[in-house]
Amino acid sequence: MAELGEVRIEESLRVKIDIHPTIINLKETGEAKNLPPYSVSNSGRNTFCSIKLDSEEIYRTSVVEKSVNPFYSQEFHGEIPKKFRYLSFMIHDNGSKTDKIIGKVTLKKEELYKYHNKEHWFPLTPLDVDAQVQGKVHLEIRFDEILSTDPESYSSHRMAVRILECSDLTVINGSCNPYAIVTLSHSKHKEVKRTIVKKKTICPNFEETFFFDLENKGQNHDRNLYNFEDVFNGSLTISVLHDDIKVSREVLGNMFPGTFLGEVKIPLRDLDIRSIHKAWYCLQPKESSRQSRPDLGSLRLKISYTADYVFLSHYYDALRNLILHSCEIQPTTAGAAYLLGEIVDNRTEAAQALLKLFYHHDKLVQYIKALSYWEVSKTVDPNTLFRGNSLVSKLIDELMKLIGLPYLHNTIKPLIDEIFTDQKSCEIDPTRLKEGENLNDNMENLKYYVVKLIDDITRSGLVCPTIMREVFHAVKETAASLYPNVSTIRYLVVSSFIFLRFFAPAIKGPNLFHIRQDTQDSTINRTLTLISKTIQGLVNIVSAKNVSYGLKEEFMVPLFESLSNPTHVDKVKMFLDIVSSSCGTHLKNIEDPIILKEGTLIKRAQGRKKFGLKNFKKRYFCLTNQYLSYSKTKNEKALCVIPIEEILAVERLQEQCFKMNYMFQVVQPQRALYVQASNCVEEKEWLDVLTKVCNTNKNRLPTYHPAAMVNGHWLCCKSSDVSAVGCCPVSGGLPVTEIKVAIDSDREVEKIHSLFLQHMEKLDAFQDACGCQEVYTGDTEPKSVLVIEDTKTCYETITQIQKCVISLEQEHKRYFKLVQRQTVIGSIDTPIGECSTPAIWDSSVRS
Amino acid sequence: MPKPPNDHETTYKLVVVGDGGVGKSALTIQFFQQLFVQDYDPTIEDSYTQHTQIDGQNCLLDVLDTAGQEEFSAMREQYMRKGDGFLLVYSVTDRQSFENIPNFHTQILRVKDRDTYPMLLVANKVDLVHQRKVSEESGRELAANLRIQYIETSAKDPPLNVDKAFHDVVRIIRYCMIFF
Repeated sequence: MAELGEVRIEESLRVKIDIHPTIINLKETGEAKNLPPYSVSNSGRNTFCSIKLDSEEIYRTSVVEKSVNPFYSQEFHGEIPKKFRYLSFMIHDNGSKTDKIIGKVTLKKEELYKYHNKEHWFPLTPLDVDAQVQGKVHLEIRFDEILSTDPESYSSHRMAVRILECSDLTVINGSCNPYAIVTLSHSKHKEVKRTIVKKKTICPNFEETFFFDLENKGQNHDRNLYNFEDVFNGSLTISVLHDDIKVSREVLGNMFPGTFLGEVKIPLRDLDIRSIHKAWYCLQPKESSRQSRPDLGSLRLKISYTADYVFLSHYYDALRNLILHSCEIQPTTAGAAYLLGEIVDNRTEAAQALLKLFYHHDKLVQYIKALSYWEVSKTVDPNTLFRGNSLVSKLIDELMKLIGLPYLHNTIKPLIDEIFTDQKSCEIDPTRLKEGENLNDNMENLKYYVVKLIDDITRSGLVCPTIMREVFHAVKETAASLYPNVSTIRYLVVSSFIFLRFFAPAIKGPNLFHIRQDTQDSTINRTLTLISKTIQGLVNIVSAKNVSYGLKEEFMVPLFESLSNPTHVDKVKMFLDIVSSSCGTHLKNIEDPIILKEGTLIKRAQGRKKFGLKNFKKRYFCLTNQYLSYSKTKNEKALCVIPIEEILAVERLQEQCFKMNYMFQVVQPQRALYVQASNCVEEKEWLDVLTKVCNTNKNRLPTYHPAAMVNGHWLCCKSSDVSAVGCCPVSGGLPVTEIKVAIDSDREVEKIHSLFLQHMEKLDAFQDACGCQEVYTGDTEPKSVLVIEDTKTCYETITQIQKCVISLEQEHKRYFKLVQRQTVIGSIDTPIGECSTPAIWDSSVRS
Repeated sequence: MPKPPNDHETTYKLVVVGDGGVGKSALTIQFFQQLFVQDYDPTIEDSYTQHTQIDGQNCLLDVLDTAGQEEFSAMREQYMRKGDGFLLVYSVTDRQSFENIPNFHTQILRVKDRDTYPMLLVANKVDLVHQRKVSEESGRELAANLRIQYIETSAKDPPLNVDKAFHDVVRIIRYCMIFF
């Protein structure tokens, strides 16, 4: 059974932000009068929205200009690494010099589950400092009986309020000098006491006790009793303030200097007079600020807040193995991973968890292969291969987003930035042309961008992340094996991922791929759409059998005619070949090598013979994605072939070694090949392409010798050992596009577990369907969407899933019970006035 | 080149949405060019305009043909805001595309912030009788659940209901303008 300390809580938040039109009700502020008249009121405001965890801003949307009903349509997704009480959304006015907050929505953490994954309109409330509170206060309240010396009189009571300490108070303008005010109020009576001010602390230790007499002196006994009851209709308020000499504000009718930090109001009837009451309380906003508000409009949000309770690894082994086993199970549709994809309403979440799991356990290529084989074999028309939204396309899409973003940025960001800076019009649709624009100029602008982008993309093939290339290779091979007669299938398949689902959407909406943070104005928007269209159109020409682009938009025809020349077509084809070439050796024999660069270079004899002159000779070199080779002349048999895996480093060579310039070295396990290029341009080109090839090499060396070994010692480090390790780190390091993603396998399985749990009913229904089909193999059309190919295997898999999920869920329930049992309301971790332990409300949600 | 706008002419912005490969472009091109495109050529975003007369009233149809891949879904909202009417297209040979229709429906209503909006459910590729996976009955049932009208189409020659689908959306828009 899991112990408390063994369970990790991983929280994440996903928010989709829109806004409601009624923000128009805003009154214009003083700042507006200095603006030019046309921008006042009816043209709207420039606004943006920010997200805050307590007082810390974690995200802001881009600015939506001149709108009374801004449509942000943006999504935030992130992990939440700290505890928080409030999630707030602020609408900022970006018009004036300083940000002004128009309105906000504040939600308590414990109420987030109510809105989980649902669209909801939240009314905007004005920003009110008194409503922004955080922190808690530790109190002790007890009632003392005071025995009067007068035996005739009744005993009277005294209430002792001890302010022990506060914690986690708000910092105001960089400082916090807190003090507390204790107020006892009942009927018309009010008694106020205050602590001393503690300087520069958010966790003040007050340790002060205040006494309140609970009797009315000089009254008769009957009245006294009545008044005692009266007191218990009253309340005790503890307010915490920041002593700021500059700000003076009226608090509770008395003049106290300072800024409000929060208060706790305790009805006295809640307290048991016979015992000592000691507890932590959450500070609350001021009561007056909780009242109704003027209509400021509303904000539409879709909030998904999840807290994963991750247990120790071994709890997940059964479910993890079941999922990973999906690679081997036949038919693929009877695997646990496929079933998960079928039962969920939206595949994104499921695909993300599955992708990470398969990727982490090195089974991704294998699974995608199995899944794509099934999908291709079921496709009716090869034309529509991988065009729909299936589990395999979703997995590859998520892979490109998880692994491919640095590669994407590296490849297209320079040009996208240029477009944003240039602000040139590229409109080539005569019906949309703005006044003063020239169609030919625009066409030239557009062509310039498209040609440049095609160059950037097609040159990036070698730095495309290895795992993406392996996955593309797998789907390409699968499709080619099932459609051997469709010659263009390999381009069609690969382009439908890397272009249609990666480059094309990223070019069209760069801020969705984090390439730009600013919003696109309509001109840039249109430019990006046109570029995205043109590039996809060009790729279609390459990958389809015979595309008749004349049938689509008329104004695009001249552009395609001029761009679909053999140079561009070949570039795109070669790029598609490279990004789908296997990086491992095991599959090379079935693929033709792709020539990356060839030409004449001068090389020094490699010295494979111990003696003999190490002379320099002209050789014809050829680099492919599989090997580097050289021969005497272009069409002769290769004299030497160096497989890519044996190119351990590619670096320049110090000129003084052989008194020759433009020399570089290709380091192999036993020796180095020294080569001279004919000029600086050639040298750079060879170095660039060789470095790219070598970068994906798993055996790549971390260090090298910048000079050669001459006369028995390395000229650089003077070592006389031929095999001495390099004395200088290799240049570059791993390419920026090849990133390692840390994956938490247990957490992903936990996510898969909760997805199964949420859709248990559907799973049960599938199981029933398997049972029914087994019994009645009649011709009745199955009502369910699920393709059940092998009812028996499918039934078994579902049974196993149910077993894993139920036993994991029992573990969760046990854990929540444990938490509940050990939770003490009023302790520092669970102060009164808040459910700070999500487990408490989570357990209620789960059951 | 379109003719200069007529004073009495209303412009209707129609948007064709649906999963990838369901035949959105084939329908659109059949409607505008009276041709069936055999080859599949994925669309990013194409727009076409045509002056026409529907039920005796002149109008300009401005049709936006869109990308079906989910990667574009976040970008859809900008053009959805501008659309007056929508064709929600699925292929009767692709069950998944049918399952996805409610997502488009919800997204449009959300973007428009309305409970109802002019939309038409279009069941395409009905000529592929033997490969049909979604029956007319399930199509009509979905349309009823979404409270929108249903039509079966085929863009392949001879086309079935292609013009009617586009014209019906305009009729629905006109109807909504009168009654809402």
